Amino acid sequence: MSAVYKRELASYFRSPVGYIALALFSFLSGFVFINQYGDGSVNISSEIMSLCSFFVIIVPVITMGLFSEDKKRGTEVLFYTNPVSMFEVVLGKFFAAMTLIVILFSNVFLHMIITAASGGVVNTGSWGSVIVYFCLAILFTSIGILASALTDTQIISAIISFVIILVIQLLQTISTLASSALSSLLSLSMFALEPEKVNNACNNVAAAITWLSPFTKTQDFRYGVFSVAPLVFCLSMALVFLFLTYRILEKKRWSQN
Amino acid sequence: MIEINNLVKRYGDIKAVNGISFTVNDGEVLGFLGPNGAGKSTTMNIITGYLSSTSGSVKVNGHDILEEPEEAKKCIGYLPEQPPLYFDMTVLEYLNFICDLKKVPKKDRKEQLASILSMIKLVDMADRLIGNLSKGYKQRVGIAQALVGNPDILILDEPTVGLDPNQILEIRKLIRKLAADHTVILSSHILSEIQAVCDRVVIINHGKVAAIDTITDLSTKLSGSTKLSLSFKGPVKEVTNAIRAIPGVSNAVSVVSNDDVSMHQIEITAVSDSKNDVRASIFYAMSKGGWPILEFRSLDPSLEEIFLSITSA
Repeated sequence: MSAVYKRELASYFRSPVGYIALALFSFLSGFVFINQYGDGSVNISSEIMSLCSFFVIIVPVITMGLFSEDKKRGTEVLFYTNPVSMFEVVLGKFFAAMTLIVILFSNVFLHMIITAASGGVVNTGSWGSVIVYFCLAILFTSIGILASALTDTQIISAIISFVIILVIQLLQTISTLASSALSSLLSLSMFALEPEKVNNACNNVAAAITWLSPFTKTQDFRYGVFSVAPLVFCLSMALVFLFLTYRILEKKRWSQN
Repeated sequence: MIEINNLVKRYGDIKAVNGISFTVNDGEVLGFLGPNGAGKSTTMNIITGYLSSTSGSVKVNGHDILEEPEEAKKCIGYLPEQPPLYFDMTVLEYLNFICDLKKVPKKDRKEQLASILSMIKLVDMADRLIGNLSKGYKQRVGIAQALVGNPDILILDEPTVGLDPNQILEIRKLIRKLAADHTVILSSHILSEIQAVCDRVVIINHGKVAAIDTITDLSTKLSGSTKLSLSFKGPVKEVTNAIRAIPGVSNAVSVVSNDDVSMHQIEITAVSDSKNDVRASIFYAMSKGGWPILEFRSLDPSLEEIFLSITSA
């Protein structure tokens, strides 16, 4: 695992990818921070929450080449024919991407130090937001890795992970849209349903869709209210995606088509 | 030692490999021949564990590739058709990465890499980016990669494809050097290469073993007679008749005829016999008729002909 980890992490900084991600993240986080600093009320939690909405760009950039480049260049043979297990390879690449995200996030730690030094508030809520950020990072990175194992073109892999992460970010909006669409459908006279039942059904659908959102699950962390369920949710979903990646890679060996 | 037993690989309805069995002995250089799409690369991929077989088994030094993959893979160094290189790494960085992958102990690493680099003549290129190397050097890095971890068995899939004649000669020399202390399986469709390097050849066609033998045995099995080519000045008909009359000659056919300058070439098939060399009789017959011989040579069946006759049958 460490072989793949070391190579991937180093390769981020051999190509422009690492620097582009670093520049992009520094710019975005710096922009948000300076804006708040100028207003005289720095809120680390809200800075981190705005940064969460940029996962949709950062994660595809970081993960798009992880497996797709190996497939294109033919270097994946190394993982299949050397005495390493494919799951180690997946984990190595995952941890390399996560390490880059930690490096990017050091910007925010810098902002926390500046805030604390200039008399601002860094409280449990701030640290809660940091935890949320990394939970989401783990979840989205595993999705990005799965996307890059699906194709041998970086761009397609980036688009796949972009779309999936976008949908997850919009789950709240989607749930409202879905429930209102459902309510107008069920209210048609041909169904002849009581309005209360229609309302119930729509609320249940909305709740079911919202349940999937890691954002709503973790929203209390920023106020310093911690719970285990959201962590378990994010980490176990990430494990599922990593396991799927592993199976997809192993499928190549066993495929008979 | 590699034992391959009744290997089948199915892709949908097509059997890319259909019941291949053979054994590669320790220290042997085995040539792997076949037309494109015969199943060479698929077979090699199965031996190295890259693909699984539909049925059948591969045992590498007694370890089944599917049941004890780690043990089996440790014995094999593999150079696929497209060398698996990271263009953004230097040669040394790349080989260190391979050492990590193959779990070569840290203390042996420096020594091992130094000896590989000097054997492959890559010392001067150690700090260059792989992406900036020429094709020949990239191929060498590919071979160096296969040598990391001192595997007993080397599997090289078309190692000289796309190289210039000088580079081909150097790689061939290198393979011969490696053959001294490795078991080598080499696939190629450059037949002279196989002829120059290999002890035995396996010819596969349509996913099946078409022939497996040493090259000399294959050629005698196939022909059983000698072939001669003769160019001369003189009348074709008379010459052919005169030569056909010589005892031991079974046939003489005109292959090239140029009546203007009365220069012809005929191909003679004769029963090979060490006691009675037909070549002398042909010479006397030609001199008796007063037909000057321009060229006279024997046509040993090349691997190319063996290959064609087996694969087109």
